[in-house]
Amino acid sequence: MDTFVFSLLNGTVYGLLLFMVSAGLTLVFGMMGVLNFAHASFYMLGAYFAYTLQGLIGFGPALVVATLLSGAVGVVVERWFLRRVHHHGHAHELLLTFGLSFIIAETIKLFFGNYPVDYRIPPALDFAAFTIGRQQVPAYRVLMAAVAIAMFAALYLLLTRTRIGIVVRAAIYKPRMAQALGHNVQLVFMGVFGVGAALAGLAGAVAGAFYTTNPNMALEVGVLVFVVVVVGGLGSLGGAMLASLLIGIVTSLAVGVDRSLADLLAVVGAGAWAQAVGGLMTLKLSSLAATLPFALMLLILLVRPSGLMGERA
Amino acid sequence: MLAVRSATHAALPLLALLSGLAQAAPVKIAVLETLSGPQASTGLAYRAAVRYAIDKLNASGGWNGQPVQLLEYDNQGGPAGASDKLKAAAADGVQIVVQGGSSAIGGQITEDVRKHNLRNPGKEIVYINVGAEALELTGEKCNFHHFRFAGNAQVRTKVLVQAMKQAQTLGTRVYSINQNYSWGQDMERAIADNAAAGGYQVVEKTLHDVNKIQDFAPYVAKISASGADTVITGNWSNDLLLMMKAAKAAGLKVRFGTVFLDQAGNIANAGEQAAGHFVAQTFNAEAAGTEGDRFVADYKAKSGHMPVATEPQTVFGLEMVAEALKRTKPEDGALNVNTLARNLETTRLKTPMGEASMRASDHQVLLPLVVSMVSKDAKYKADETDLGFKPVKSFTAEEASAPAQASCKMQRPI
Repeated sequence: MDTFVFSLLNGTVYGLLLFMVSAGLTLVFGMMGVLNFAHASFYMLGAYFAYTLQGLIGFGPALVVATLLSGAVGVVVERWFLRRVHHHGHAHELLLTFGLSFIIAETIKLFFGNYPVDYRIPPALDFAAFTIGRQQVPAYRVLMAAVAIAMFAALYLLLTRTRIGIVVRAAIYKPRMAQALGHNVQLVFMGVFGVGAALAGLAGAVAGAFYTTNPNMALEVGVLVFVVVVVGGLGSLGGAMLASLLIGIVTSLAVGVDRSLADLLAVVGAGAWAQAVGGLMTLKLSSLAATLPFALMLLILLVRPSGLMGERA
Repeated sequence: MLAVRSATHAALPLLALLSGLAQAAPVKIAVLETLSGPQASTGLAYRAAVRYAIDKLNASGGWNGQPVQLLEYDNQGGPAGASDKLKAAAADGVQIVVQGGSSAIGGQITEDVRKHNLRNPGKEIVYINVGAEALELTGEKCNFHHFRFAGNAQVRTKVLVQAMKQAQTLGTRVYSINQNYSWGQDMERAIADNAAAGGYQVVEKTLHDVNKIQDFAPYVAKISASGADTVITGNWSNDLLLMMKAAKAAGLKVRFGTVFLDQAGNIANAGEQAAGHFVAQTFNAEAAGTEGDRFVADYKAKSGHMPVATEPQTVFGLEMVAEALKRTKPEDGALNVNTLARNLETTRLKTPMGEASMRASDHQVLLPLVVSMVSKDAKYKADETDLGFKPVKSFTAEEASAPAQASCKMQRPI
């Protein structure tokens, strides 16, 4: 039971982290209609900014500045790169962000080398918050969850309860109409892109210390973030939250399940046959845990192509 | 500037090729490693070691009065790229191929080399494996033109278990967690095989996806629930780092017995969390004494960094190749690869760690190993931290060796 609760908790926290990264991506998709391949690169940038700055200004301020810097890079990318290719169509925007992700990764390697850097949780935060059974839940995990939830609440309120939110939603939904009504849609796009990048940067700054900060971290989280956005529904913030939690919890719980298809078939008396067949039949669910999100994505695309909470097909 | 340099890099082999036509062709050795992309750091380390060894060979006169030529091919991180580049290397006249970065790629190369040699008698290629440790390469897939100059799961686990048992840190309950591919599966088997010798019980075995997992907390929950004293793992890179960090974060009191903890950057990243964990190494300068000091100093002077992880074994492997080359006389001014391979089978080399030799029956090198513990007492510090690898117990090549696999049926050319 303890293990179950612990796994559930772990999955939730990991899901919340995924949400932090995917929130920006899904917003930007809703706006541009294009998946931003460089999005996870902002996550990596955030981690490296925070790593560089924490020695100079301390951990807390480093998180804030890293978030702002990532956002600034996002603004630059939107204003001077994406906007220039916008009229060429989606394919160009896609290729641009794709190329950008490589350039950012290689630049990071140039400055920080090929190996992981020693970005770690500050000692002041390195303690156990509470204990479940024999296992401690680190305070930093609780902090990560808190940051993610605060972020979701702030975004949600901003988009649904403020005037800025109305303009942003209008600009995303019907950009020409919003423009005709006198809103600066260009500015809105730049702002949304910048905020999206800043959120990814914040996630990187927070998670980089807990996991590892290395030049591959964008790649590691990038693929999963796409899965989250597709499962949740492209452009839907609530969907991204739901999908993140779903994926986090499913992978976390699956690790504890040492059952295979053969065990399932044994219930109907075909266990011996399945054991003899081997292969997929005897593969334990636990060894497939990291693959489950992709299976989930496949399933969603088959039965509900618009995603769990997506509006457009 | 960068573009100019890479252009000259690209042109160099071509120029060398043209000038080589005039006289007897020099022996060409190719590094077929992952030189770009996410796994590039591994490949670049192998390349640095190969460069060091080849420079040393050329400084001592090369082969047949000519310097040996080193070509570099980027396998782009996968077996498909390796297969393509191997063809390119063969077309360029390469006779010796060096690779170590991954067992999956190693498996592809050994098969491709075997087929190439069947189809092109007289133009054989020999594959010098400096790091692909999957057992099948010296088992079912063993072939006359493949030589492994690295350890394997059996020998690494054997010494790890013995040393940890002697240091009374092994305990009686061992958790086996490994990556789900050839190498990890070998490790899982080796951990089970050594249970009797180590006096432990394998409480649980886990195989997980390779380099896909960010959050190891669920696995740590499983380890904790099993009540294990020690975790033995063949995991490398992120899969190792993240697991150790997650274990520490959950307050889990277990010791890790590892194979790849000494990879560059690991200690820098894990810091204090790595202290007290064990690693089975092919080289430890402190254990190797003054010879080790000399090797480290020389390597650092030439390559600009300390030899870590797989670099020393790569250097020793290529020194063994150089030794065999020295005993291979040119035939019509060219190198006969089959003769070289026969000479490789009987190669012995005095490394700073002790004597290493090639076992002819399966082409697995027998090399001395050392088990070390991460500690502040170590003479050489890792990654500019205050931690290093303190030798716990050294093993001679004989002590470390595991018997050749019965599945290897070596076919020698007549």
